[in-house]
Amino acid sequence: MENEYYPWGGEFTVCKPNGCIAVVLLQIDYIPPANVAIFGPLKTENIGVEKIVANVISNPHIRYLLVCGDDIRGHRSGSSLVALHRYGIDKQHKIIDAPGAIPYIENLKTEALERFQAQIEIIDLIGVKDKKTIDNAIKEYNMRSPPSYGESYIAIRIKPDVPTKLDDKRALHSKIVVHYMGKIEKREG
Amino acid sequence: MFSFTKKQEVFDISGIKIGGQPGEYPTVLLGGVFFKGEPNFKREKENIQNMLGLSKKTGNPAIPDFFIRKKEYVEEIVDFIEQVLPKKHPFSIDIIEPSVKIETLEYLDKKHLLKRTIYNSIHIGITKEELEALKRYKPEMAILVAFNPKDKSPDGKIEVLENGAHLIDKGLLATAEEIGIKKILIDTASLAPGENSGASIAAIPVIKEEYGFPTGCAIHNVVEKSKWLNNYFESARKTVDASSNMDIVLFGGDYAIYGPLENADLVFPMIAWQDILISEYTENYFGVKPAENHPRRKFF
Repeated sequence: MENEYYPWGGEFTVCKPNGCIAVVLLQIDYIPPANVAIFGPLKTENIGVEKIVANVISNPHIRYLLVCGDDIRGHRSGSSLVALHRYGIDKQHKIIDAPGAIPYIENLKTEALERFQAQIEIIDLIGVKDKKTIDNAIKEYNMRSPPSYGESYIAIRIKPDVPTKLDDKRALHSKIVVHYMGKIEKREG
Repeated sequence: MFSFTKKQEVFDISGIKIGGQPGEYPTVLLGGVFFKGEPNFKREKENIQNMLGLSKKTGNPAIPDFFIRKKEYVEEIVDFIEQVLPKKHPFSIDIIEPSVKIETLEYLDKKHLLKRTIYNSIHIGITKEELEALKRYKPEMAILVAFNPKDKSPDGKIEVLENGAHLIDKGLLATAEEIGIKKILIDTASLAPGENSGASIAAIPVIKEEYGFPTGCAIHNVVEKSKWLNNYFESARKTVDASSNMDIVLFGGDYAIYGPLENADLVFPMIAWQDILISEYTENYFGVKPAENHPRRKFF
């Protein structure tokens, strides 16, 4: 069951496949109870946030995203994740009002972000490290037993188009030519 | 082992030269000070002295890269830099939070240390306040991190340098020009495993041939983020971490930001060894003479 979810990989632990809570850990040494769907750390305010969004929307049973612990100085990845859910992104794909250093979402389509906003409710416990408080929040939200959001949403990772051909003789990269014995030259055209 | 057609810039900071053709100048090694946790001044003083000793033995210049995470550490760490480093020795400051960056620049100016400072770093997250502070308190040298969240390939890295990849108003090269920093190092932005981490190595010769600027990266970051290594090969982790820096040298890079100072004992001889191999070939085939302080000279 769990293999059909979480297509973007990452540093996380899968627990109960139909659990309704995903837990994001920010600099906190804490293992949530086994009845959550998934938990793991968040480090970066761009790629890390993207992975969390893509993975939680792949499992429609997840309806709550609990963010706890101390936000990482400079990166402010937890607060950037909360800002993404609240405000979305601007035309330059920057998370609106995110406090992180480089809070850009570049590999997810708008549809995936809208799904994240619709499917998920954020439980903002940033700054909270007390395990009992977090346990109690998990218990409380678990008791709400929200319905599944429906179908799984598998987010496609946006990748730049890099055309290659079988007769491609480029060594290393299209911008340079590596000549016999190692002389490098910029490729013309 | 490569030689570039494009003229390769060599920049000097307080007597340390960075850049040039492969085999010309020794690879410059930047080691992280206060890399994790709260600053431990006593331990890091010993580590810095150890790194400087290794630099003397191998010929590879050592530049300590100081992490400053909180405002309350700014004065303490800058004062420590002044006390612990030899007079005129260059250093870099590695700060994420823009407000801490600004406060550090102000204090470095007050202490007349900006001539020895490498600013680590300018990237697409630069704020208006940071830009203005950099114009007022101009560091001697800056690292431009070519991180492009939408395209992690060498092309994406070039796009960020050229035009900011439309994530910001202008490219990082133009930003450095606006500030008035002429001595720039390009960092090819090493990302976590699974995020085209190899592109930061492949981008080195591409960017050096494109611009001729000294280029390198913190390939150590890839190892640092590897769950696979941590979970299954814990005993090999430090060796893999240190040896990953060799990729930078073999692909023509000029400097490596190699991670915590504790890795210096492994990193310095490994990199000196690659410098020697490269120099033997590039002198024989391309006629590149190694500089006076090159590790190969230690064997003559």
